[in-house]
Amino acid sequence: MAKQIECSRRTVLRFAWAGMVAVGGLSVKPLVDYLMSKEDQPRSPLVSYAKSLEEKTDWQHVPNSRVWVKRDDQGIAALVATCTHLGCEVTYHLERKQWLCPCHGSIYDTEGRPVAGPAPKALPRAAVERKADGSLIINTEKQVGLDVRL
Amino acid sequence: MKDSKETETSVQRPILMSDHDQKEKLSPVHKLEGNSRNNFINHVRPRFISERVLSVFYTFCLGGLSFLAFLMLGITGILLMFHYQPGASSGYSSVLTIGSVIPYGYIIRNLHYWSAQIMIVTVNLHMVRVVWTHSYKPPRQLNWLVGVGLLVLVLVLDFTGYLLVGSQESGAAATVAANLLKQIPGLGTALAQIALGEPSALSGSTLVVYVWHCAVLPLAMLWLQLYHFWRIRRDGGVRPL
Repeated sequence: MAKQIECSRRTVLRFAWAGMVAVGGLSVKPLVDYLMSKEDQPRSPLVSYAKSLEEKTDWQHVPNSRVWVKRDDQGIAALVATCTHLGCEVTYHLERKQWLCPCHGSIYDTEGRPVAGPAPKALPRAAVERKADGSLIINTEKQVGLDVRL
Repeated sequence: MKDSKETETSVQRPILMSDHDQKEKLSPVHKLEGNSRNNFINHVRPRFISERVLSVFYTFCLGGLSFLAFLMLGITGILLMFHYQPGASSGYSSVLTIGSVIPYGYIIRNLHYWSAQIMIVTVNLHMVRVVWTHSYKPPRQLNWLVGVGLLVLVLVLDFTGYLLVGSQESGAAATVAANLLKQIPGLGTALAQIALGEPSALSGSTLVVYVWHCAVLPLAMLWLQLYHFWRIRRDGGVRPL
């Protein structure tokens, strides 16, 4: 037989206190994360890419942004990986040479033209400029045509 | 047998030998220190409480639960203010950002939302209980009126919170409210402007509503609530008449 636990008012209150302290302790990190979050602060439209992209490449992701860059025969192009359907972030699948949207299954070809799914138009291209030190600056607010290259 | 002993130690002894009684005996100066302050302390810590009022089934703790919800709303509300941006275009998108991108934002917003829903329910049940037990009758008639004032404040706070979401529904609600206020002859237009600012038909979120919801109304309500609680003791505590 299990020993019966004595449940006085004091025991219950002590448990309640311990529970409150535990909840308080556990909520410290979430609170700090919440208060320190900068996700809702406006971002600069300018994205910089440290490499100079001298050789021909497939699409390269620029860290901490939605911008991808590549160099082909005509020059350097930058693409903003935001689905033209409802704004989800799309990713480039190297092995398929296609952009896939995880939300509603839109598919774009390697140049960003819609192939399947609800996407109404091609993925937006952004203007690229080269700084004096050779790194690239992509202006995501300045949209350019599909065939524009640096 | 054991039960009654337990009650004796935890309820009766502190009543006979409370700090409060000793303070009164030891420092007569305390008594002269302005009547209202003394009055306040006496009613916050009464000399004795009838054992019958410790029963949960008389009040069902509905007032206390409402106050608990109010505290919860205050804490989560202050946290939401760190990321919420009022305004016709920014209100709704900042709510979406809090709910989807900011870490733990959805928990804080949901706690705020559901505490508000629960508070509306407990406040109304509290009023039903007061009517049921005839607790609005003298000598508690003034506290009943204070309670009615608090009910109005809760409803206005609930409404302004609904407007601050900034969704299309809130825009429609704000437009209806503004048009209702504007029907008042003479004062109407000014009143609508002071209460709601200039909400668009697509979003009820304005800076004016934000100030009412986050500063003026909660502070007014907190003050009135403290008076409400003090008044309970002043009028003789909670007990069947």
